[in-house]
Amino acid sequence: MGGEAEMKRTVDVNIPLGPVHPCFKEPARLKCETRGERVIGAEVELGYMKKGIERIMKGRPWQEVMFLAERVCGICSVIHNLVFIEAIEKISGISVPQRAAFLRVIANELDRMQSHLLANFSYCYTIEHETLAMYLLDVRELVMDELERLTGARVTCAYIIPGGVRCDIRAEDQATLRISLDRIESDLHRYARMFETGPMIALRSKGIGILTQESARRSHAVGPTARGSGIDVDMRTQHPTYQQLGFVPVVRKDCDNHARIMVRFDELFASIRIIRQCLDTLPKGIIRGGGICKAGEIRYSGEAPRGELTYTIKTDEFGRITDIQIQTPSIMNIEACCHEMIVGVDSIADVTSTFVSADPCIACTER
Amino acid sequence: MAVSLFWYMVEFARSEWIKKFLFAKTAPLVTPAHFRGFPEPTGKACQHALFCMMVCPAPGAIEVLHEGDGWKPNIHKGHCIRCGLCVEACPNGVLRSGRVLETMWDQGTSLQFTFRIAIDPDLCMGCGNCCTACPVNKLADAQMGAGGHSASDEVIMRVQGGDILVLHEEKCTGCKTCEQSCPNDAIRIARILEGTQQPIQQPSPEAGP
Repeated sequence: MGGEAEMKRTVDVNIPLGPVHPCFKEPARLKCETRGERVIGAEVELGYMKKGIERIMKGRPWQEVMFLAERVCGICSVIHNLVFIEAIEKISGISVPQRAAFLRVIANELDRMQSHLLANFSYCYTIEHETLAMYLLDVRELVMDELERLTGARVTCAYIIPGGVRCDIRAEDQATLRISLDRIESDLHRYARMFETGPMIALRSKGIGILTQESARRSHAVGPTARGSGIDVDMRTQHPTYQQLGFVPVVRKDCDNHARIMVRFDELFASIRIIRQCLDTLPKGIIRGGGICKAGEIRYSGEAPRGELTYTIKTDEFGRITDIQIQTPSIMNIEACCHEMIVGVDSIADVTSTFVSADPCIACTER
Repeated sequence: MAVSLFWYMVEFARSEWIKKFLFAKTAPLVTPAHFRGFPEPTGKACQHALFCMMVCPAPGAIEVLHEGDGWKPNIHKGHCIRCGLCVEACPNGVLRSGRVLETMWDQGTSLQFTFRIAIDPDLCMGCGNCCTACPVNKLADAQMGAGGHSASDEVIMRVQGGDILVLHEEKCTGCKTCEQSCPNDAIRIARILEGTQQPIQQPSPEAGP
């Protein structure tokens, strides 16, 4: 049997990386089977920080679950808020004013920008290009400031509520947002070019961590990880507001670490374009339509910075959550990462950078 | 060598450099006006509607206490998550946080509570504890006895034929005293929150409630 032969294969050293390790910052254990320096297989071990947040959510009304949903992930909190609230709205048949829908897109794209910048920072930091990493963190601060100006808080914004958003964007904030976007774009052009054309970066990223299109489909990779392998999967194409804005997903076909990071850079520019488009075509009107949560059951997905995020929600007649399951993108990407991308990597030094290039978020995964 | 040493000394002997070296200060950290911080009192009198406590998603973050001659919301900063919902839910504008209160006034937004009473008939044994405990019932019918029976039609609920009969759901203030007094967890109050907006045509700074 092939399986038996595989079980008995010779392994030089079984190297554990994490959960506490100098070059591995996520609380997960990655067990790499190596022969020489080459990794011939890897397995991930999760369960170091289970929060049980879905259990806490049960029996609570939306105004409490909304804040818990945001706290599933500290980096992509706005999308958790958005997907949860839109699922509730779908159940209850609440419609959103056009202006609020555009403001939601602005908040969501700003959040996606800061998440992508953080992911690219981690990658650059992992391949020891600290200069570029710190440049990217500097740009991220600008994005965070804009998010704070719009919503009042940097990470757990609590901006989106059923029927609309918490507050409108002021005219002077629109002007500052445009100025900041210009600066972010010009800085990012420089940094993206540094990354794309850097010869040392190419040595550490090009042709490493190959995830072919077939293996990406097999392991159900989502988000930038799949889009770096030439699969144009993006839940934003299903979202009515993004459809209205004519959103087209960013795809690269190189299938390696470099492609995944460049997809994130390209998506940053796409996000800047979307925000500008929203500001240009921001309709006038109210930002809250009202509406009361009702009973129902739904499975609703949205595109988180890391991929498809799905909420399965059941509510009772007063809008309290009786059952909820959250399916986060990172679990699929971690699977793709340790079973497809890391296998065949030529050096242990590339294992962490390959793992980070998939942008795994253990906080989401174990919620 | 001597020349370079000289230039080195000249560079460091400049008065600006010495001043900067000795008295340089980083700019003080300022909290921006748009930051949604901990809720602070605006000075308006608290009417103890308690909506701030009801809407608060963090357990134990805010409590309205009777202090001296008036009511006062107390914020426990270790528990507060600075969401600003208490500011929006307060009908009297007692609290402020960042720009939340100002934007509410400018845009006419508010959070409205409605309360619904749900009684599980399988769990309810008709003891009447909820009816007796209810503070609104107490005002409507001061004669209500331990069994929860009442002749008044103005009470929220009363025991009738061994079951709880809810008469005036709209009078409920959402305090959940009945929930706490129920031995079987049969009664549950739903606090339904709705974000609404009545747009103001000419926004003015005095357009407060």
